[in-house]
Amino acid sequence: MEPNRQFVVPVSVVSPTDVARLKREIESVDEFFRQSEIRAGGEPSAHMPQMSKLMDQLIAANQLNLLQEEDRQWIVDSLVQLDASAPVLHISFSVDPPGSHVRKIVSWLRENVDPGVLVTVGLQPNIGAGCVVRTTNKIFDMSLREFFASKRSFFVKKLHDAISDPDSVELPANAQVQQEQPAQQGAPA
Amino acid sequence: MSLGLLLAVLLVIAGGTGVALWFILRPQSSAHKAKHSTGNKIDDLTEQAKEDVEHIFNDEFREELRNRGRLHFEKIIGENAMFLQQDLRLTTSQLNEFMKNEITSVLKEEFSKYEESINDAKQLAIDSIQKTQSTIEQQRELLTQQLNKQLTSEKEKSLERFESHMADIVNHYVLEAVGEQIDMSEQLDFILAQMERNKEAIMKDVKDGA
Repeated sequence: MEPNRQFVVPVSVVSPTDVARLKREIESVDEFFRQSEIRAGGEPSAHMPQMSKLMDQLIAANQLNLLQEEDRQWIVDSLVQLDASAPVLHISFSVDPPGSHVRKIVSWLRENVDPGVLVTVGLQPNIGAGCVVRTTNKIFDMSLREFFASKRSFFVKKLHDAISDPDSVELPANAQVQQEQPAQQGAPA
Repeated sequence: MSLGLLLAVLLVIAGGTGVALWFILRPQSSAHKAKHSTGNKIDDLTEQAKEDVEHIFNDEFREELRNRGRLHFEKIIGENAMFLQQDLRLTTSQLNEFMKNEITSVLKEEFSKYEESINDAKQLAIDSIQKTQSTIEQQRELLTQQLNKQLTSEKEKSLERFESHMADIVNHYVLEAVGEQIDMSEQLDFILAQMERNKEAIMKDVKDGA
């Protein structure tokens, strides 16, 4: 094993829950190998724990061999350190996002913000669209709701124009067509 | 006044008659005294004159004189009474005229005072009404200004409330109507763009927080 290699967190490892799960999984693997060493030959051995896809990706990303105790120990230490020190961002969406989208966002965050960043996903249906990112200190509202709120003065100005001089308001072409349609429908044949 | 004048005239006539009688009877008494003082001759002469006088001024003559005097006196009294009556009538008519003039002038003066006081009262009433009208006008203007101010304020408040509520309602409506229609894949670009925009702040916050 290389002495100072860097721990690579795959994009599928998103949240602290994933890290904890991987940690438990690697600990169970380590336990399995420890038990295998203790057992005498011919005795029935415990079943090898099933490796999750997440673990496979982690191992592949870091080019580890779990048969090696050093690698197992290194990955445990790295996961503990990641769990302890990784910045965690809480991102809320209006609907439950697909995993691929979350992975894209996590990938962007790890490329641009911090390579070890972890993300927890939440739901806030009232934001309409976009997301709200909450760090330990701040909230970054990148939702449609906030966008509308920032455009409130523009809306009020348009509302003023509509109230004070309705003829001056320029309606989109679609709106005029939609306004004319009911009149045509209501007209006698 | 006329009765006093009549009494004064009567007293003057009685005084004149008395003086005339005194002058008539005075030589008789002075002769009688001279007779006593000069002696018997004189007394005789006196007695003789007395007798002559008695002859001349006998009772009939005296009665005649009395009658004449009484008639003259009555005539004078009648004339004076007539004059007095004329004076009285004249005085009465003058008095009436004077009273009429006086009453007329007093009435005119009183009427003019009354008219003046009525005019003053009228002017006072007009001034009071004008003051009241000006006060009412000022109050009306003040109230109008306050009402307009309050109306404008209420209008602005209502408009502001309406705009605020309207913006909230439209936002809520759009979010409700559009929110579920926007696919996450369509949102992804928007989210990544927003994150790119807030990249520096997020990085700074993550580093500071760490």
